[in-house]
Amino acid sequence: MRALKAIRKYFSNALIIAELELRKIRHDQTQIWVRMVQPALWLAIYGLTMSKLGMNTFIPAGLTYLQFMTPGVLAQSALFVAIFFGINVVWERDLGLLNKLLSTPASRSAIILGKALSAGVRGIFQAIAVIILALILRVHLIMNPLSIIGVFFIIILVSMCFSCVSMAIASLVKTRERMMGFGQVMTMPLFFASSAIYPLSTMPTWIKPIAYINPLTYVVEAMRDLLATGNLHTLPLDCLVIAAATVLFLVLASLGLKRMIS
Amino acid sequence: MEEKAIVVHDLVKQYPRVMAVDNVSFNVDKGEIFGLLGPNGAGKTTTIRVLLTLIKPTSGETLIYNLDTAKNSEEVRRMCGYVPQDVSADGDLTAYENVLISSKLYGMPAKERKTRIPEVLNFLELTDRANDMVNTFSGGMMRRLEIAQALVNRPRVLFLDEPSIGLDPNARRIIWGLIKKLRDEFNTTIMMTTHDMGEADVLCDRIGIMNRGHLATLGKPSELKSTVGGDIITINSSNPNCYQKVKDLGYSTITNSPDGHCDLVVSNGETLIPHLLDSLKMSGVQVESVSLKKPTLDDVFLKYTGARIEEGDTFTETRRARRSFTRRTK
Repeated sequence: MRALKAIRKYFSNALIIAELELRKIRHDQTQIWVRMVQPALWLAIYGLTMSKLGMNTFIPAGLTYLQFMTPGVLAQSALFVAIFFGINVVWERDLGLLNKLLSTPASRSAIILGKALSAGVRGIFQAIAVIILALILRVHLIMNPLSIIGVFFIIILVSMCFSCVSMAIASLVKTRERMMGFGQVMTMPLFFASSAIYPLSTMPTWIKPIAYINPLTYVVEAMRDLLATGNLHTLPLDCLVIAAATVLFLVLASLGLKRMIS
Repeated sequence: MEEKAIVVHDLVKQYPRVMAVDNVSFNVDKGEIFGLLGPNGAGKTTTIRVLLTLIKPTSGETLIYNLDTAKNSEEVRRMCGYVPQDVSADGDLTAYENVLISSKLYGMPAKERKTRIPEVLNFLELTDRANDMVNTFSGGMMRRLEIAQALVNRPRVLFLDEPSIGLDPNARRIIWGLIKKLRDEFNTTIMMTTHDMGEADVLCDRIGIMNRGHLATLGKPSELKSTVGGDIITINSSNPNCYQKVKDLGYSTITNSPDGHCDLVVSNGETLIPHLLDSLKMSGVQVESVSLKKPTLDDVFLKYTGARIEEGDTFTETRRARRSFTRRTK
């Protein structure tokens, strides 16, 4: 019973932290709108151009390049936002907000989980924008409610995963400037060493192992199955890998939080 | 034995390059306003952070209401309120939301929140600005909001880290009034740090003076002031022998002041000054200015640490104090 109560308290604290972040977004929605621009460009300019260049022929059976790429852009948009999330935490540390949060009864990992959840919710807004744009571009996506819910679920997970990676790094580098640098250094390799914009089979052999340990690959594959192919064989495995990576980085980020304030 | 609100026993906090807190022990009674004084970097904030379970001590024991802070961190945090030195109200939320989130994090039930939040906003005179964004607030209002956040939970022990740093004199007086009211009306135990001697004198029942990690002395402000012994005369002279000459005349000096400047302790300053000046003139010392001061806590500090309070700021501490000041006055 006591353990159950503790678990409930843990998750309710995480939700309160998430609420705090979401209330901030409600007061200032600019960031949500601005962040829709980049994925829109990838899809509308890169995607359409590549289709015209004949990328359709390289894509596994039956899919157009835009069908193939839309899940990739979804994953990328979540990654690009989440990977810079640590900057917020460094900023809050510098302001003294973090010290105060840590002096409340909420545990460190509940604070990290809450922040990660809020990153997840931010990701949802972008995902909606990408899906709407894809529909405007007449990309044929599987639009049943279950697949959409599945996609949202995965977007939340991947945002949580990479925001935890970012917070873990933030606890090591401790300044905003360095954090910007690390974010830049990480996004492109994670993005290119995944199947977001081209199939794994077309990659140079030496990148393949990297792609296989890159959580983003599993994210892309899971969403591609849900939205484009409809073949859900590997979905449980993909979800498991993403969830495991999320838990791992959640733990690392929670441990790092102690370093942040000392 | 009566239960103490705070017990600090042989506390040591060692960082890789500095000894932040070096074997410090003291107790704080229930309902007491206890002040930790000292220059920046003396170990005041570190002591508070250990008590709040934010950092682990290297050795030693700290208790809050008989709970060991190292072993019962969550319960301890639940009992305490904390107003950090830096600005800690969230500027991207309204005042009400700031207090709301705090009350939720302290596990306050929704029903209680409904009465408690307006109550605490009212206590801090923020009711009419409750729904305004905090980034439009003045420094004094922000400080009051931060205190509201710490109070919403009705803490048994309230920690205030430099409560009036960067505030203008008027806002400072308002905060002082609040701290007193809090103790008088709710019997809250308050532990505060400050490097403002005037503030400590006005507010604190007892004071501990910290310097370089040590607790230099401890006592009531009046007791501490009486230990300084009497009035202080400060002499400025262009003559480098001034200090030695004063000593030769048989006066007791306090510091190893730089040449031509010296502080001496006397019992009846007003009547002594003319004689002193005559004696100095006869021994060939040209005095440029002289001032008389009745004892203050500043002098107590001077006596116990051998340095004026402004000295010894580290670069980062100074930068932080300035930064937080700029933010508050924006």
